[in-house]
Amino acid sequence: MTTFKRIAVTAFAVAALGAGAASIAAAQDAPQGNVTNGKRIFLADGCFTCHGRSGQGGAYNGPAPILAHTALPFDGFKGQLRNPSDDMPAYSDAVLSDKDIADIYAFVQTLPGPSSPKDIAILNN
Amino acid sequence: MPKRRQQPDASRRNFLKGAGLVGAAAAAAAAVTPPVAANAMPAASEEKLKAALPGPRQVVAETVPPANDPVNQSTSGGDFMTDVLNSLGIEYMAINCASSYRGLHEAIVNHANNKPEIITCVHEDIAVHMAQGYAKIEGKPMAMACHGVVGLQHATMAMYNAWCDRVPVLVMGGNIMEADKRAPGAEWVHAGVDIGQIVREFTKWDDQPASLQHFAESTVRAYKIATTPPMGPVFLSLDAELQENPIPDAESLRIPKFVPVTPPQGDPAAIAQAAKMLVEAQNPVIVCDRMARTPAGMANLVALAETLQCAVIDNAGRMNFPSRHPLNQSFRRAMIGQADVILAIEMNDLWGTLTHFSDRIVRKSRPSYKSDTKIITLGVRDLYLKSNYQDFGRWQDVDLDIAGDGEASLPALTEAAKRLIDDGRKAAYAERGKKLAAAHLAMVERSKTDATIGWDSSPITTARMCAEVYNQIKDEDWSVVGTAIRLSWMHRLWDFKKPYQWNGGSGGFGVGYNLPASLGAALANKKHGRFTLAFGGDGDFMFNPGALWTAAHHKIPILYIVHNNRAYHQEYMYLVTMAARHGRGVDKMDIGTTIKDPNIDYATVARGMGAHGEGPITDPKDLAPALTRAIAAVKAGGPAVVDVVTDPR
Repeated sequence: MTTFKRIAVTAFAVAALGAGAASIAAAQDAPQGNVTNGKRIFLADGCFTCHGRSGQGGAYNGPAPILAHTALPFDGFKGQLRNPSDDMPAYSDAVLSDKDIADIYAFVQTLPGPSSPKDIAILNN
Repeated sequence: MPKRRQQPDASRRNFLKGAGLVGAAAAAAAAVTPPVAANAMPAASEEKLKAALPGPRQVVAETVPPANDPVNQSTSGGDFMTDVLNSLGIEYMAINCASSYRGLHEAIVNHANNKPEIITCVHEDIAVHMAQGYAKIEGKPMAMACHGVVGLQHATMAMYNAWCDRVPVLVMGGNIMEADKRAPGAEWVHAGVDIGQIVREFTKWDDQPASLQHFAESTVRAYKIATTPPMGPVFLSLDAELQENPIPDAESLRIPKFVPVTPPQGDPAAIAQAAKMLVEAQNPVIVCDRMARTPAGMANLVALAETLQCAVIDNAGRMNFPSRHPLNQSFRRAMIGQADVILAIEMNDLWGTLTHFSDRIVRKSRPSYKSDTKIITLGVRDLYLKSNYQDFGRWQDVDLDIAGDGEASLPALTEAAKRLIDDGRKAAYAERGKKLAAAHLAMVERSKTDATIGWDSSPITTARMCAEVYNQIKDEDWSVVGTAIRLSWMHRLWDFKKPYQWNGGSGGFGVGYNLPASLGAALANKKHGRFTLAFGGDGDFMFNPGALWTAAHHKIPILYIVHNNRAYHQEYMYLVTMAARHGRGVDKMDIGTTIKDPNIDYATVARGMGAHGEGPITDPKDLAPALTRAIAAVKAGGPAVVDVVTDPR
């Protein structure tokens, strides 16, 4: 496993576990993005097909990570899009500009992350 | 063998021929009248028709009793065939009716009072898939009958799924073997010299019996072959003459005695070696797929896992291991990378399970396990393989390969392991078990937490869909017998612990399996009073929506949840990948991959088939009440469909 892949896998694992302070820090380091355009791209360019409209994650050939309120730093997020690990498609600059990526990143930061399952009775059967 | 129209006839057919001659004579007489148009039929003279007198052949036909073309018979080959099927305890025969097996069909209905019970299906693909789902719950085959050429071609996809899934199904196709017995037209295009060749590459065995005794022996043989592990579908070509004509020598016929084959157990020396490797391992991991074939299978695997206090990764080809057992690590696949010994039981795709494969331009792969990991296989899958279709998967190096039925061999393996475990090991194993239990618990909690994301979203998340359903069926004696592609929330959130609570997937990934196979499983569950439910994708649903009519007609209770993401979603994602790989637009990938504009209203489709229908449900708040109504309809004895508009996965 390359260093990048190790970072990516670790980062996505963190993302999957939820957000908190790390996410806030990551968002602060990110370039300013347009949430509305980010949502448009997220839905139009197929991000939702693997990661869900709520960024809840899903499955492609294997599990697709949770993106809602991701704790992944912007550079790691962009790196995963440009040169992804596993089977995620690589989005070149011709398909997604850096600006588009910043917009998507801004959008997924607005998606609510996980909450406590204890607050949802039917998840405790 | 009995013959069709063996002698020149002087009975009813000649009577009709006589009438035809009269008509022809009348027409000839009328031909002198000029037609009113070039393509008009000449008008017959009514006077001349009335005046025509019976000719000598007609007089003979009306006065001489029939000699060589009897119109009634007191025995039927189909009756004997039915007796053979009933001797095997076959409960149901799913059919799409066809003239080439009308003899057998009529015999079942009248001679045996509809036993096996005929299940009327509107497509042969439905009939075979029902039999596949039934067998995985009931543990024995049901029969299926079809037209031997055209019906069998319809049945092939389902037979391939059953083959890949290693499920016994007795498929029969009508045929007219003797060319001089075939009527003009359809009977020729529906007949073949060797119709079994259509399905031979994905059946365990086939035959075309040429006599009733031959049929009896071949049917019992087919049943035995189908039910001997590795199991699979079998095919019999049924000659129409054999079914329809009288039994020539009833006294000579006998129905062979069926005795099931005792499944082969692994060689004792090899089992002992496997036990030693597992007992001495620091991190043994069990992986399994189509292991449990009877209710004993799960208990046998639990016994081995608890003896070793080791991780179990279940590929869920059958109900192998309880979902909430502390040793269940199915959603912690990284365990494979930590294993020093892997025991693989009845695996379908061992290489795929132990390999990290990259679906990129260069399709690279690398083992998921360590280079010094020892791999033991136990199973019978490789004892019967064929060449053309590549369902056997890629070669996997192993260290100990034991030919033996997994379920049957497990007790001996467990006992052998127990004999090697001293007190010191017991303490270490207990510690290992505690760690695994903690990891399992964390995994369950993590799943619950993940499920909260997008909880109130519309389209509805698949996590919420599964949680809402479970909330309403958890206190039933439930059996979930189908799922959509990569929909795993049930196994992450639900408490699977009974042998019939799950029965695996399609086998061949042939779309169209899920709805009819679920109905077959529900048919098996019905007599046991279980509550059957299934999830299924919208794409799969549309392959065989007519299966719902069968469910309504035969009053098969099932709650069917349509996971309606309005797409062939896996293909949608593949297309996005292709566009991204080529560095061009990824915003048009819904072309050819989605099922929208217009959206299909599955509840209306269901109601049109006589089933209860709910939906489309787009607001998660509407889901629980819709489920309550649907469950009431199922408890009233019929099928109910709930169309849930969902997020993709």
